[in-house]
Amino acid sequence: MLLQQLVNGLMLGSTYALVAIGYALIFGVLRLLHLAHGEVFMVGAFAGLMVSIWLSVGPLGALIGGLVVAALLGMLLELIAFRPIRHRGGNYLAPIVSSVGAGLVIQEIMTKLFGAEQISFPKQFESVVYQLGPIQVSDTQLFIMGIAFTTMFALHVFVTYTRLGTAMRAASENIEVASILGINVNTVVLLSFGIASGLGGIAGVLVGMNFSSISPFMGTDMATKGFAVMLIGGLGSIYGAMAGGLILGIVEVLSVAYLASSYRDAFVFLLMILILLLRPRGLFSAGIEPGR
Amino acid sequence: MGISSIHVRSIPTTRHTKVTTAAMLGAAISAAILPTAVLADVTIGVLIPTSGRASGYGQQMQVAINMFSEKYLDLGKAGKLKLDILDTRGEVPEAINLTRKLIGSDAVAIVGPQLSAEVEVVFPLGVRGQMPIISAMSAKPGLASANQPWSFRYALVSEHDYAPLLDVWLKQNSGIKKVVVLYDAKDAVSAFDGVTVFPDLLKPRGVEVIEKISFQGGDIDFSAQVTRARGLGADGIVLSAFYNDAAQVAKELRKQGMKQPIVANVGVNHPRFVESGGAAVEGVMTASDFHADNPEPAVAAWVAEFKKRFKEEPGNGAALMYDTLVLTQDCIVRQGITGANVAADRVKMRDCWLNMKDREAPLMGKTSIDKGEAVRLPVILQVKGDKFTIVK
Repeated sequence: MLLQQLVNGLMLGSTYALVAIGYALIFGVLRLLHLAHGEVFMVGAFAGLMVSIWLSVGPLGALIGGLVVAALLGMLLELIAFRPIRHRGGNYLAPIVSSVGAGLVIQEIMTKLFGAEQISFPKQFESVVYQLGPIQVSDTQLFIMGIAFTTMFALHVFVTYTRLGTAMRAASENIEVASILGINVNTVVLLSFGIASGLGGIAGVLVGMNFSSISPFMGTDMATKGFAVMLIGGLGSIYGAMAGGLILGIVEVLSVAYLASSYRDAFVFLLMILILLLRPRGLFSAGIEPGR
Repeated sequence: MGISSIHVRSIPTTRHTKVTTAAMLGAAISAAILPTAVLADVTIGVLIPTSGRASGYGQQMQVAINMFSEKYLDLGKAGKLKLDILDTRGEVPEAINLTRKLIGSDAVAIVGPQLSAEVEVVFPLGVRGQMPIISAMSAKPGLASANQPWSFRYALVSEHDYAPLLDVWLKQNSGIKKVVVLYDAKDAVSAFDGVTVFPDLLKPRGVEVIEKISFQGGDIDFSAQVTRARGLGADGIVLSAFYNDAAQVAKELRKQGMKQPIVANVGVNHPRFVESGGAAVEGVMTASDFHADNPEPAVAAWVAEFKKRFKEEPGNGAALMYDTLVLTQDCIVRQGITGANVAADRVKMRDCWLNMKDREAPLMGKTSIDKGEAVRLPVILQVKGDKFTIVK
């Protein structure tokens, strides 16, 4: 059972990681908490579902649909909820409150459009379960794990080896100096929102596929967990978010399996507090680069 | 603010104002001359969750309220019945606020709230405020009887449902000796059913509860709980949760290869349980106050009308709401409640529900009230194909 629970934890953790990377990217560049990120994740899940229903496409099509819609929504949020405040030199709390408001508006709109009930993903997403010794793994789970790790690796390559990735890292160092050095900071920020939200959208579709259902309220809990993961991993650290997500998923599942399942969220935050007591800056230090 | 267009609050125009003034003058003169004159409409507060996690129930209840309103708002000599319909969002603080508001209004009774978590805190408010509160759907045992004489429930309390349910389930699955209970710890009635009611009823029937595993309603991932349940070697599964979470847990159970028979609490009584659960909920057995496939002509006609309006089969909640409103309206007529003296009218409404005996309700037949709780025979249901069917 332990092995099976570890697989369950990895599954859950990989989706947490994808959501947390979004937080980390935006925080890394802007030092800003994007509290509507959970709702972007939820919209991505619905977009994936709708694309799969309307176009009768499989998991990959749903993922692309979720990614594109979530990325566009993220960039729209940057343009209407964050950039105007930044350009007018608003209080540092203003964008946080603005993102909370944006999240509530998105949640209400989705509730009006789709109802408050959970909605199931269509039959083409139902999985085949394989018995590998003591472990049961479904093809959907393998797909999800593959997509999550591939996405994380692709992001690592992008941030480390591309010009835009370098620009993002420069902006995360010091956005004003980056601007003086000729980097188009607005583009970098917009891109960061796009990538972060796209990853959130992918996570939304993966959650929908794995757990068979989505609802307009699914973003709230995921956002809280994603935020905790970012703190555990280190504010603004992509690799910290990856590791933190996996750690959190495994701890959460093991707490349900071997301790009291009613307190799964309590264990998550207890772990967060313990890690922050031992390493106040999280497991990885701040910045888009690892080890900084 | 009410959320429905049913509210009968007149908006005066110039011409109407004159007519209304004349009518009021006439009414005032009549009141002075005739001791039984009618001065006020009768208001009932209705609390339902039309948004939030339990909105599936609320939306269906709203349709039932609309159907009721088209037939029963005219009270004859007593004037008109007004429904002040308010959305609790299925949240306890909101239910408390709205109940306090209604206690301070001219309402003669409150029908609702509907969820046991809400009812648990609202019933004591009714006792303190001397307001008859009738919950149509809440089923957690003991809530009304603990708050007498002002609290009532039309739904059968869960222990009245589950004793016959377990008898039928164990007869159909004779090999069951050990079960595991999976319950939603967030919902009061599901948690109570899972932790107390089902185990207490299973023990005298020779069935051991190996473990009670909780989950949080609204979670997306139930894999850890199901993996834990899988290792226990149970012969059967008791599932206690709302229909949406219960369907997801059932899917996870089947996905992880657990094919044991499932018996579920009343929370799954909703068409969306079958719709959302698909093949995973096939064979799940539960009990209900109401069943949409009842061949009784009056019930069949009501169901057909409901489906015409909502494009969905009515669930337990909608039917319970309809019957509760009809019985409450019947109390108004029988007791001569006029809305003229709210305190006296509330006492009359209380006494009507308190002494209800074999009263014929349109959808669920003869109902009596014992210590605030409804007494009737439940229907045992099982998912077959894509719907609930009655187990003979």
